[in-house]
Amino acid sequence: MQTGEVVLAARDVSKSFGAVQALRAVNFDVHRGQVTTLFGENGAGKSTLMKILSGVQRPSGGEIVLEGRPITLNSTVEARQHGISIIHQELSLSPNMNVRDNIFIGREIMGATGVNFAEEERQTAALMRELEEDIDPLTPVEDLRLGQQQIVEIARALSVKSRILIMDEPTSALSATEVEVLFKVIRDLKARGVSIVYISHHLEEALQITDHAVVLRDGEMTANAPRAEIDLEWIVRHMVGEKYDLGTPPTGHEMGAPALTLRGLCVPQGSGLAVDRLNLEVRAGEVVCIYGLMGAGRTEMMECVAGRLRPSAGEILLHGTDIAHLTIAQRIAAGLVLVPEDRQRDGLVQTMSVGGNLSLASITRFTKRFMTNRRAEAAIVEASIRDVTVKTDGPDAPIGALSGGNQQKVVIGKMLATHPSVVLLDEPSRGIDIGAKGEVFRILAERAKQGMAVIYTTSEVGECLAIAHRIIVMRRGRIVAEFGADTTKEAIMAASGEARVA
Amino acid sequence: MSEIPGETKMAETTGKPRARGGFDIAHLLLEGRAFFALIAIIAIFSYLSPNYATIGNFLIMANHVAIFGLLAIGMLLVILNGGIDLSVGSVLGLSGVVAGYLMQGVELEWAGVILYPPVWAVVILTIGVGAFVGMVNGVLIAWFKVPAFVATLGTLYVARGVGLLMTNGLTFNKLSGTEALGNRGFEWLGFNRIAGVPIGVIVLTLVALIAGFLLMRTAFGRWLYSSGGNERAAELSGVPVRRVQVLVYMLSGVCAAIAGLVLSSQLTSAGPTAGFTYELTAIAAVVIGGAALTGGRGTVRGTMLGAFVIGFLSDGLVIIGVSSYWQTVFTGAVIVLAVLLNSIQYGGSGKRG
Amino acid sequence: MIKFTKRTLLAAATALPLMASSVWAEGLISIIVNDPANPYWFTEGEVAKATAEELGYEATVAAHKGDTNTESRLIDAAITNGAKAIILDPANADGSVGVVRKATEAGIPVFLVNAEINESGIAIAQLVSNNAQGAALGAVQWIEAVGDAGNFVEFFGNPADNNAATRSNGYNTVISQYPDLIKVAEEVANWDRTQGYNKMQSIMQANPDIQAVISGNDEMALGAIAALKEAGRLEGIIVGGFDGSPDAVEAVRNGEMAYTVLQPVAVFAREAVIQADYYIKNGTPMVADEKQLFDCLLITIDNVDNYTAPFTLTN
Repeated sequence: MQTGEVVLAARDVSKSFGAVQALRAVNFDVHRGQVTTLFGENGAGKSTLMKILSGVQRPSGGEIVLEGRPITLNSTVEARQHGISIIHQELSLSPNMNVRDNIFIGREIMGATGVNFAEEERQTAALMRELEEDIDPLTPVEDLRLGQQQIVEIARALSVKSRILIMDEPTSALSATEVEVLFKVIRDLKARGVSIVYISHHLEEALQITDHAVVLRDGEMTANAPRAEIDLEWIVRHMVGEKYDLGTPPTGHEMGAPALTLRGLCVPQGSGLAVDRLNLEVRAGEVVCIYGLMGAGRTEMMECVAGRLRPSAGEILLHGTDIAHLTIAQRIAAGLVLVPEDRQRDGLVQTMSVGGNLSLASITRFTKRFMTNRRAEAAIVEASIRDVTVKTDGPDAPIGALSGGNQQKVVIGKMLATHPSVVLLDEPSRGIDIGAKGEVFRILAERAKQGMAVIYTTSEVGECLAIAHRIIVMRRGRIVAEFGADTTKEAIMAASGEARVA
Repeated sequence: MSEIPGETKMAETTGKPRARGGFDIAHLLLEGRAFFALIAIIAIFSYLSPNYATIGNFLIMANHVAIFGLLAIGMLLVILNGGIDLSVGSVLGLSGVVAGYLMQGVELEWAGVILYPPVWAVVILTIGVGAFVGMVNGVLIAWFKVPAFVATLGTLYVARGVGLLMTNGLTFNKLSGTEALGNRGFEWLGFNRIAGVPIGVIVLTLVALIAGFLLMRTAFGRWLYSSGGNERAAELSGVPVRRVQVLVYMLSGVCAAIAGLVLSSQLTSAGPTAGFTYELTAIAAVVIGGAALTGGRGTVRGTMLGAFVIGFLSDGLVIIGVSSYWQTVFTGAVIVLAVLLNSIQYGGSGKRG
Repeated sequence: MIKFTKRTLLAAATALPLMASSVWAEGLISIIVNDPANPYWFTEGEVAKATAEELGYEATVAAHKGDTNTESRLIDAAITNGAKAIILDPANADGSVGVVRKATEAGIPVFLVNAEINESGIAIAQLVSNNAQGAALGAVQWIEAVGDAGNFVEFFGNPADNNAATRSNGYNTVISQYPDLIKVAEEVANWDRTQGYNKMQSIMQANPDIQAVISGNDEMALGAIAALKEAGRLEGIIVGGFDGSPDAVEAVRNGEMAYTVLQPVAVFAREAVIQADYYIKNGTPMVADEKQLFDCLLITIDNVDNYTAPFTLTN
């Protein structure tokens, strides 16, 4: 058993979901007793690869090799039996149960009269001591800080004698102190021979802890090197690469007066602020892209402007008029619309047809005196389908029959059908294929030329440089940088990833 | 907001994929199952009893269905919104009691007079009571976020209790009014017939038509379907979801009040225990008619078919002399079967977000 | 679809023996009782049915469980089925007037048993126990057992049933002669055993010193006894019931209940069918008076062995 040698490897692993190929012949090595970090943008395939390695999914091609022997993992239970555990970004603890019960969930120690709680407690306390955490085994998990909960998850993985630990975005919700503790734990684990696979968007931070780096892009491994050979620039370069042309900022039109102005906007979240004294001004005909990682507050800002969340302070002005007291419906009528981030949860009514969804925000336009006018509605739906090029079997098709990209276009089309002057889009290109992405941006650019103010958020840096006239970087509820269209991806990523988690 | 690690989300399907050719028959049967069930019931009971398939009997059975049908229409609206209204049976009883109380004459001691409101005023006031109870439900659910099950369960008890308090457990029986007092005509709410058709059936038809129109051809109907299908998406699209919620429970209360009026007229007596457990039958009718309990799916036509299926089935069992315990077993079996078929039809819905 | 049809056919097949054939011998007599879960109404229905079949009729027993709407539907079914006569235990003294009228106007004679309606001239006959006599009988026995002083509890039946008031008035007429007998609680328990049980428990909390219980019917009394037993306080408390149900008689035998008043339900249920048969064959009522009262009998520990069948005392 040598530190550094390959303990787990994915050889030529491929994975397709229907027509979409998530992974293409990827080779990935996990080194014993060391940290291997997997870098890549959203959609690059990191999570898919990890799910395959931990037994959640099976590869469509290729094989997994453990200690030199190929194995098949049919379930997470099997993977755990082989010593592979994964700690997901969304922790899988039961908040209403205590630490001891969570660690032994599903594999309770049985005694003569039922569960041997005393023994479980003893083992839990031993684990906590090993991880140098002062947590009482009987503490309910919901009372623990997020960092401590993460420790509990790690303890659980250790108690099943995991030799390979996969950690998916472990620091995204941690404070700086907790991150230090986590890194200490990781170093301890390494000393005991546990191999760690680390996934993170926080590049600087990952560089502190990693021994190896692997970069995925569009389902392929584009680079892999030991720590000594890499730096931030190397990572970014291999992550972003060349992308399909998502368009250029629309030109040839005058930008008008400020359409949307935010002054000192604060949106509360828990005991703190999700949006912290934000100032922004977007003119008619301008396209602004807001870039930021998880926790940056982009969605909260947009939902507040749209009318779903209440601000605790600040002003929202639409064409100079204060709209903070208006309902969502009133804001839509005034010309301000939001295309939400999660289209299944917030964007589409799954029980209605394509036409029903498209006309949902425009009901007042085709209703006269309580009665809906079928012809007027059909006209609106038809125009919408044309405008945003929705590929559908006609307006009466159930919305569920459309592909993800077309569903997204329906949500956008629904909002555009209200003839807004300001349109907010939260991650409009998430989870749709590259062709649809291009179409979406083209539509937005066209509308901007006609005088619409467009604000969209993204967590993929390549999309910042598509059609935006201005790129704004948000972190922890504040704007930390602003760029023009002539900036580089590296500069943007550096602006968001460079500051320490503090 | 959480970042979803990159993996293209497959289109979540919420309807059965339409297979071509021969499968369409099965699909057709599934869609029209309530209708075919009704035909089957009529056929079987006509065979088992010569008394079943006569115009006279159909009208009588339709008259019985009218009460549950009215409740079911109100229940459909609530279920379309993704909620449930357990109080309709109690509101039916309470409405009958209120109507009876008004018909007996309201004594105003301070003025020294007894008011005998005319029948049309009694109708309006009673419907007002139903709307009021519905509004209480709606406000609790929409503004105070009390779960619909709990809120309407509470109203169920309160309304029943108020009815019992008003009558001390007895019934109001003098409902026909007198010429001299100007309050005749109560029989026209359900007891009488027009051209041989019981008024209860006519009222049911009218309310069903209005409800159908409301759902299909008005903005409110669109709001209702969308907020039932996905409340968050509807809200972000400008639908006044809370207003819709309050209105929908008020409409349910109104339907229950109308049912209470029709029933008291049919029985020529108004008792506080009327309608006990009727809400369950109303829910059953809506479910058998193909509506989804999660909201956003269902039609008035389906609900009417569901009400007729239950009504014609239980009346048929009574006519052929099967014990009432068997009736309970049957109704339960039909409901479970209906929900099973519902989940087959709406099944295959992908996991949300 | 297929499953459903099969199931109905199966049930219908099971139901066929109940119908014999589409042509009923002498005709159909529809018997409608309140709730057969209560042995009183169960006996009522069974005796009527047996008598009807004995006389050559087809008979069905249905239950309205106190709901006037259900009662209305059952009457409708009887009319649809062309019943020759209806034996009905009405749900509501006022509320059932309408349905009795409906049946009579459809040409079917109605014979009421056990409870009356507040209008005469519609039903052919109303055969009820002499509740007033029975109540007095019971109350006198109760006084004998209790003495002339003490705290007691009264249980009242369903207020919509005239019998509840009749019995209560009967009790109070006798008891009010003894000013030292103090009623500490009166509760409506709707003829139901569970309600009697629950109400008794609450009453015991409020009143630690109780000497006796008098009840409108056996079921409520049995509920009270169960509550007293559970609290360990039955010893020495006098409980009196009304109906003469098998469970009550058993309690009398065990010394838990002091006495019960037997309603001659078996007698008048049989009599109702006989009178119906007469009317069907002759077109005129067998007995001139519409309201017919049947005297009640007292059952105590002394004559408890004469109780040979449900609601039947052999002398």
